[in-house]
Amino acid sequence: MYKKKTGLVGIIITILILVILVFISNMNVENLSHIENVISTVVMPIQNGITYLKNKITGNNTFFADISKLQQENEELKQRNSELEANLRELEIVKAENTTLKEYLDLSEQYGNYKTKAAYIISKDISNYSNVFVINVGKNDGIENNMTVISEKGLVGYIISTTDTTAKVQTIIDTASTVSATLSTSRDNLICKGTLEESGMLKATYIPTNANLIQGDILETSGMGGIYPKGIKIGTVKTIQNSSNIVDRSAIIEPAVDFDKVETVLVITE
Amino acid sequence: MKNTLIILAIILVFIVLYFLQVNFFNWFNISGIQPNLYVILILFLGLFAGKRVGIPMGIFLGICLDFFTSKKIGISGIMLGAIGAMGGILDKNFSKDSRITIILMTIVATATFEIGSYILNAIIVSINVEIIPFIKILCIEILYNVILTIILYPLLQKVGYYIEESFRGSKILTRYF
Repeated sequence: MYKKKTGLVGIIITILILVILVFISNMNVENLSHIENVISTVVMPIQNGITYLKNKITGNNTFFADISKLQQENEELKQRNSELEANLRELEIVKAENTTLKEYLDLSEQYGNYKTKAAYIISKDISNYSNVFVINVGKNDGIENNMTVISEKGLVGYIISTTDTTAKVQTIIDTASTVSATLSTSRDNLICKGTLEESGMLKATYIPTNANLIQGDILETSGMGGIYPKGIKIGTVKTIQNSSNIVDRSAIIEPAVDFDKVETVLVITE
Repeated sequence: MKNTLIILAIILVFIVLYFLQVNFFNWFNISGIQPNLYVILILFLGLFAGKRVGIPMGIFLGICLDFFTSKKIGISGIMLGAIGAMGGILDKNFSKDSRITIILMTIVATATFEIGSYILNAIIVSINVEIIPFIKILCIEILYNVILTIILYPLLQKVGYYIEESFRGSKILTRYF
């Protein structure tokens, strides 16, 4: 009996540790407003109680005199509130539809030169070491291997395999991915690879020794390599990693696309 | 009949785990790192049902997993098959009644699966090999798997003995006496 109880306590403690670990590891240190919220949650009810008592003692409680009138008013307000909530729900549905349609329109306008097919991401890779996702278009929609996938913000990746109704996309941040890039300012060519070093980032290597690389520089596809068309935005230079040998220097590139949030993509079919 | 139902239940659990991995653990992660629930599932299957069930189920479920999202078909299949075999071997040499032993088995199985998959990916898909970042991610993943094993251990043990009885029958192992 004792062993059973201690086992249960152990499991509860482990769950608590796991929850704390997850929250701490994903917490934005700069954003401390939630601490303020916790403090206000604890302090405000006490503060409200004290204010109420103070008002009562000093005779400022006349507001509560006509209870029946207030109850009627309360009922009316509740009715109005439920009506407004229903309207709000309808509006939210319309807003979501509008956002999706706008995304499609923006994408098609931005890449008007290419013939494209819009798609939704339906599943993501579960591995911590690769970054592949599945989209809801396939061979039936004219999708083939090695076709480029983009989003409204920039380059996403390319098709690695297809079924009749789905296709797998290897993103540019996957560790097997390599993209030939050009600096939009100096037109220097370099290579961008997916990296495990910084999650969701790219690593630029083979930077020419005479290239003038500056933080914030924009990188776009060079068109070399045979998969990605020229001129699609890849991302911006986040940090430059200098080494004793200038040939070895590298840079961390922040992709234009936020791969955690991307939902809609375009496959360039022609 | 009973064994077939158990196999079907395991496939159902696999599907549930897939959706958990894709949706829940994608959000409930430690520094962006997800656990690997399949390693735990196949390890326990190998431990309780034996390698005759662990290996084929590992290969089958691994290939299914590869079809769902992986770049190449077969890598997860091979590695989960190996975890199933490992479960069977560990069962012969260690007691699965000790929580510490189970935790150590989870550590070894997770490390084996991920290192093996990484090497195979490096050979087949030509990924950029980065050893230090890989070890960092692996350590967090192992920690996450260990925490989940501690939480799920009583349930896994209970279900495991039921599976063991069904697949192997109730045998008294003389080596414990």
